[in-house]
This record gives sequence, structure tokens and C-alpha cells, in this order.
Amino acid sequence: MLEKNYLWRIYWRLAGVIMVCVVVALAVVSYFSHRVFERELVPETEQKAATVGASVRALVLKATSYGIEFSSLYGVEQTFAEVFEENPEFAYMAITNTDGNVLFARGSEPIGARTHFRNPVVLQIAHETTDMSKAARVGEQYIVSMPINDDGKPLGVLHVGIDSKFVEHVLLEVLLDVVVVLVVSLFFTLELLNFMAGARLASGLGEFARQVERMKSGDFTATARIRANDEIGRLLRRIDSAIDHLNVRYEFLVGELQDKLRTAAGAQREALRPASQALEQIGKRFRFGSAPQEAEGDEMNLNRIRAPLFAFILAEELTRSFLPTYVNQLLVSIPGISPQVVIGLPIMLFMLIVALGQPYLGSWSERVGRRKAMLVGAMIATVGFAGTALAYNLYDLLLWRSLCALGYAMVFVAAQGYVLDRTGQQNRAQGFALFIGAIMVATVCGPSIGGILADNIGFRMSFGVSAVMALLSILAIARLPTVEVRPTGTKPSRAPRMREVMALVLNKRFMTLTGLAAMPAKIILTGVCFYLVPLYIVSIGNTSTMAGRMLMVYAVMMVLIVPLSASLSDATMRRDRYVSVGLIISGMSGLLLLLSDSFLVLFGVVFLLGLGQALSIAAQSALVAEHCQEEIRIYGHDAVYGVYRLLERLGNALGPLIASLLVIFWGYQGAFIALSALVLFCGVAFTIATRGADWEPAPAH
Amino acid sequence: MGTIRVRFITVALVVSFFAVGMAAFLNYFKYKSTISGIVKSRVLVIGRNIENSVQASLSVGMQFMEIGTMNALLAREKASDRLIRGIDVFDHTGQVLYSTDKGRVGEKVLVSWTDAAARSKSTEWGLEGDDEYVAGISLKNNFDLTVGYLALRYSSEEVQRAAKVAGREILLASVVSFVGIALIAPLALIVVIRRFERDLRTLETAASHLEDRTEQPVPTGSAFDAAIGNLRSSLRDANTALDDLRAKLDSAAPTK
Repeated sequence: MLEKNYLWRIYWRLAGVIMVCVVVALAVVSYFSHRVFERELVPETEQKAATVGASVRALVLKATSYGIEFSSLYGVEQTFAEVFEENPEFAYMAITNTDGNVLFARGSEPIGARTHFRNPVVLQIAHETTDMSKAARVGEQYIVSMPINDDGKPLGVLHVGIDSKFVEHVLLEVLLDVVVVLVVSLFFTLELLNFMAGARLASGLGEFARQVERMKSGDFTATARIRANDEIGRLLRRIDSAIDHLNVRYEFLVGELQDKLRTAAGAQREALRPASQALEQIGKRFRFGSAPQEAEGDEMNLNRIRAPLFAFILAEELTRSFLPTYVNQLLVSIPGISPQVVIGLPIMLFMLIVALGQPYLGSWSERVGRRKAMLVGAMIATVGFAGTALAYNLYDLLLWRSLCALGYAMVFVAAQGYVLDRTGQQNRAQGFALFIGAIMVATVCGPSIGGILADNIGFRMSFGVSAVMALLSILAIARLPTVEVRPTGTKPSRAPRMREVMALVLNKRFMTLTGLAAMPAKIILTGVCFYLVPLYIVSIGNTSTMAGRMLMVYAVMMVLIVPLSASLSDATMRRDRYVSVGLIISGMSGLLLLLSDSFLVLFGVVFLLGLGQALSIAAQSALVAEHCQEEIRIYGHDAVYGVYRLLERLGNALGPLIASLLVIFWGYQGAFIALSALVLFCGVAFTIATRGADWEPAPAH
Repeated sequence: MGTIRVRFITVALVVSFFAVGMAAFLNYFKYKSTISGIVKSRVLVIGRNIENSVQASLSVGMQFMEIGTMNALLAREKASDRLIRGIDVFDHTGQVLYSTDKGRVGEKVLVSWTDAAARSKSTEWGLEGDDEYVAGISLKNNFDLTVGYLALRYSSEEVQRAAKVAGREILLASVVSFVGIALIAPLALIVVIRRFERDLRTLETAASHLEDRTEQPVPTGSAFDAAIGNLRSSLRDANTALDDLRAKLDSAAPTK
């Protein structure tokens, strides 16, 4: 039979080829852009150098007008240093006398500068009385030279050196963004391969494999399926046709035998006995006729959830890297509340609505239908994004973000339900891998692209892009099957009751897991990634693009490490150790800022946080089933997991609040450190709490 | 061309369009922001000269509203760069106190100017309009208190022209790159998916001869060989059983 990874090997090969083509294309665009940058930016910078030079020259002439000797001016180098500080593209400044000898200079002198200064053409500049300047390439710099002429009396020449590498520096920043685009393109390619070809291919080949297995077991029942008009579809039609022919032949033979038996008597009936026995044998070995109608819960329809979910989550993820900075712009003072807390309010409100809404929206989506619930959710979120883009101030922004949160919760829960409805015990893990995969890819692509958009087209337009993405997701949701699938024998889901919530909140074993592991993990996630990183990066003079890159590092760590840690923790059954190590690593991340506040250290913070979260996240929820069997027996699986998820999501809401309060007292760096210390403390406490004998998994009832 | 091949090529083209489009977008906006920054900082050099003069006047005890040389200073600085259209100095209410355009004195500047100046975390601020850009400096006295604002209005033409030229060339390079990809990627993809297509063809051919009573086809090394073998043997078994039934029916005496 087909190897499991056959299609994925093809995808990776295709993605590799597409990536090579994309890299070549990006190199071509970058090369031509470099040429344009160099050609256009250098003359513009030369003009700026002339303006700056004119200002310095005015100072020099002012000093000489007071009778100070031109060659004995004081503080010229210091003035040059101030110029460099304000204009980093300038690498060298010098004043030469009329013979071309350097009187004052600062910066790195380009090779050949002294020869250039004595060049007769350059010396001639000193005699110019107009505001002219001349530029020439000397070594690695463009030197702009202008006269210092005191009412017709030539004093010397002022030279400003522009580092030719400054164009490269400008392009280096673009290059970082292009690398981000490349990474996003790779994920985008895999997502598209799956959406445009893979889903149909996978289901087609899966159907083929199942058909082969059916025929191998002697099942030749005919299916009345409509086959796609592609290679696999044609192949399946041929197999269907062979089965149909076989069925016709069988029916004909059975009919003929029955006719003969009906009219036969005595010896004739006896002569037909071998044929009857043969038919009996055929009936035992093979099955002919029509196949029973299969439920719609097939692979094809399951795969179809991925595209709308990806598009919708991407719309929200696009805003992650710049939302706090946008809120900062719309800030209005709320009496009694610090601006830091106010900035975190929209994120807190969003998380709170998602946390409180999800338990109830699950049963609602079951009632109205998953597709309809997703459609309503995506529409509400689209309005929310559009409103956020046009927000007047913080108050209406809170309303629009609430709509986004409500829509998000609806789509998330309904999509989860869609997967649950179309999977059984055997393929549920595969279904959720598909669900989480779409979310993770959106998490990688969203913040980085969102940051780039925000820096270039502005916050409002970027929210507009989110609205368009949410709108596109509506189109994709509309293509989902209209027929709802309900697995037989499943009870309708319900939100946990207050009695259950209270009982579980007071349960030591449950709260060890939830209060010391799940909630702190979410607090540090939203506190650091959604609140502190975007604000801190902008506060140190960087851009939303950089914040997006940082958040992408976190997401890439999750994508790479989570599958590995999930399988390893499952295999070793030491999930509590993975959670402990993950929490401790997360807790140590922010402490790095005690060493330095450099950018590299901040990168390290996000990297370690991603690593820690990736190690613990998969093991955490599995630990609930492992260690809370008694509680599951008493309150039921849905209630225990419902309360667990509710508290975990409340942690999401608490993260920005705690972070903002910490910022008020200790500033950004202090907040990073304090939040990490809190998680480190929880990690150590969790490790100690799970070492005792009473932590052994409870026996199953 | 096969449907699957078309789909794969479409994916390649969509991804390439996204990547090339994003690269072009990034390069264009980076260029625009860089050139805009260079021009703004060039204008601000002149602004700093004015700021220094104002601070020198304030430090010798002159009142900000009564700097007699201000209008002449503004006119002189305006003349030092052809880019500058006008220079205004206004107070915190937005009322113009000094200007190179006499008619503007006493008028109010746009609210967006005072907002931008108030919002800025440094002493520099700026605004971009369609026709005119504004680069500004908050003027402070010796006690670091803001006494007014300096606004240098300059033509957006230079930035727009440069951005237009660069935009056109970047767009051209992007279109050429995309066309190049559109030509190369399908060929490269065809090479890569040749094996997969061959496997599918083998399967399709085998499927079209499923009902032949010929020998098993020679294994092709395709990933589907085992599946094809299973299909054929399953059908052969079923047909053989039905053949046997046919023979037994035929051998029985015909009904008269």
C-alpha cells in the first residue's frame, strides 16, 4: 500500500522548487532595487550633506568674523562629532586650507582623501563665492566639498564624507523583511499546496487505498459517488466501472440461475446444484450490490476547514505586533487608571470575552450548526476589524475589539466542533493536528507580515487588511458543506456549572496543574508576547516590524518543537517533567534582561520563552487526563476540561493586566524580569508539588 | 496538461506573486521612507539653525513673542534651500506668531499640526500632506519648557518624484522577475512531479486494463505497484469465481 508520507515527500519537493524560484526572484528584485536606491539616494544625501555643510560653514565664518584665525578655530571637531551623531550616514568631515592641507578632521578618512584634497579642481572650489558644492567618489565614500569663502577671500574647503555603505545598511533592513517574507512564503506554499491540491489529492488517494482494501477483502459493492474530473478521479471512475461490470455480470448470473431453478424440476434441478453451490461460495467470499451510504464525515470535508480557519486566524494574528502601539496612539486618559493598564485593556477584554464565551458558544454552535456559527462569527469579526481600523478613540476601539473577540471565539469553537463532528477515535488526533496546524501557520505568518504592513501603510490600513482577510475567510467558510454531521450517540456539549467550577478550583490536584502550570504559562505568553514585546520594542526606538519578527521567532519555535515534545512526552510518559522544564525555561527567559537590555538579549528572551512553552504546552493538557481521573469520573470529562480551559484562558486575560501593573512599578525591563520570576517560581513549585507519592496517576475507574 | 499539474503550477504562481509583490512593496516603501527621511532631516538642519538662534535670543532675556529679528531670520533660512515653501512659528494654541508669509501671521495652523507636535516623544515632529510636507521642531527655553513650535513647510514634489521613479523601476523589476518565475517554475515543477505523474499514469493505464485477462503487468517501480497488483488479483479472483459459476450453469441441461 502507499507509504504514509508519500504525498508529504512530494509537497516538500514542490515547496523546495517553489522556494528556489522565489529566492531567485527576490534576488533579482533586490538587485534592481539596490541599483535604484544607490542611484537615487546618493544625490539626495549629497544635497543633505551640502545643507549640513552650509550650516557648519556659517558657524566657521561667524567665528572668523570675530577675528579668530581660520587655522586656530576651537571646537570644530566637536561640531563634526555632533553632526555625525545626528546624521549616521556621514562618516568623515574635514576642513582643508587653500593648499589642500587638513586643518580639522573627524571620522574615518577614506583612502586617497589627501590626494583628492590637493587635486587642483578641488582646490579651485575654495575660490568659489557661490553656494556651490561638488561631489566625488573617494575610496569607500562620496566626498561633498564646498568653499569656505569670506566675502571673496578664500579660506579653505569643507569636506563631508558620506559612507557608500549607507545604502547597503538601508537595504539590510529590507533584507531582514525579505527573509521574513521568504519564511512566510514557505509556510504559505505548504498551506496552499494543501488547500489547492493536497486536500483533494489526499482524499482521492485515500479513497483509492480504501477501495483497494475493500476489493482485497472481497467487497465489490458499488458506490454511487461523484468523482472529480482529475487524474485520481478518472482512476477511481475506472475502478468504479470495473466493479459495475462485475456487479452486472453477477446480477445476470444470479438471475439466470434463479430463472432456471424456478422452471427446473427433478433431474434438471439436480444438474443445477453445482451452480447453486458455486453461487453460495461466491456469496461467502465476495460481496456484490450497492454499498451502504457513507456518512459525510470523510477526509475531504475535514480538510476543507483548514483554509477558512487559516484565513480567519491570520486576520487576528496580523494585529499582534502593533495592536498595543495603535492603542497607545488612541489613548484617552481614564481617571484612576494608569495609561499602561489602559493600553493593555483591549487585549485583556479580548481574552476575557474569548475565555468566558467559549464554553457557551460550543453548545450554541452545535444548535445552529458549525458552518452557520462560523459564518456569523467571521461576519462579526469583519465588522470588528473594520471598526478598529476606523476607531475614533479608545472607547469605541474597546467596542470593536469586543466584536473581534466574540467573532474569534465563535469561529474557534465552531471550527473545533466541525473537526470533532467529522472525526472518530481513530482519526481525532489527525483532525486536531490539522486544526492546530492551521492556527500555528497563521501565528508564524501573521505578526511578522502585520508588523511590516503597519510600518509601511499604517495601523489603520493594516486593520483594514485584517478585515479583508476575515472577509475572505467568510467566502471560504461559505464553501464548507451545508449538511451538518452529528456523530451518533454523542451527548450535546455544555458549559461547566458553577458547582463544578467551585469544586475543581478547590481541588488540590487539579489546581496544581492549572494554577501552577497552565495559568502561569498563559500569563507569561500574553503578558510578554502580546503586551510587553510590541511596546518595549517600539519604546527603544524600533519598529512594529521588529516586534513582528520577534513574535515570529516564538511561533517558529512552537511549530518546530511542539510536535517533537508532544511525541517525546507521550513516549516517556514523564509529562510532568516536560511541564516542569518548560515552565522553568519560560521563567528564566525574562531574567536574561538582568544581563543586558540589548536587542540580542531580547531575541534570547523570546527564543527561550518559545522553547519553554513548546516543551510544556502539549504535555499540560494530557496531564489533566492522566492525573485527574478521579475528578473526571465524578464531574465528567467535559466539565473538567471545560474548567481547565476556562482557567487557562483567564490566564490569557490576566497576562496583560499583570504585565501593565509591573510596568507601572518597574518599567518594561522590570516587568519582563518580574513576570518571568513569577513563572519560574510556579515552575519550581510545580516541580516540588509533583514529586510526592500522592502525585502518582490515579487508578482508572 | 494534467489537472494536478495545473494546480501545482497555480500554487507556485500564487506564492511567487505574493513573495515578489511583498518584496516590491517592502523595497518601495523602504525607499519612500528613506528618501522622505533624508529630505526631512535636510529641512530640519535649517530648522535647527533657527532653533539655535531662538534659544540664543531667549537666553539673553528676550521674550519669545518679541524677537524682532525673527522674521528676517526665517526669510534668510527659507532662501537657503529651494525646497522650503515657508516657515511658520506658532504657539501652543496653534496661532502663527512669525511666518515667512506675512498673511499667515495671526492665523491658526491646522489642528493636525498641534496634535502631531503634542504627540511627538522628541522635539521633532512631522506631517505628510498630499502637496506639502511639514517638518517641525518644538522650541524650548532654558528651563526645557516648550515656548512654541517651528514648522517648515516643504514641497512633497521631490519625494513624490523620486518615489515615482523608484516605484516604476521596482515594479518593472518585479514584473520581470514574476514573468521569469512564471516561465521557469512550471518547467522546474514538471521535472519534480514527473515521477509522481508517471506513477499516476501507470496507475491509470493499469486501471484501464483492470478487466483484461492478461498476465500481471511488469512492476514499474511505481509507488502504486503493490496496489495495482492487489486490484488486479482481486478482480481476477472475482471474475474466476463468476466464470466458474457460468461454466456450471452452462453445463447444466438447458430448460425447455
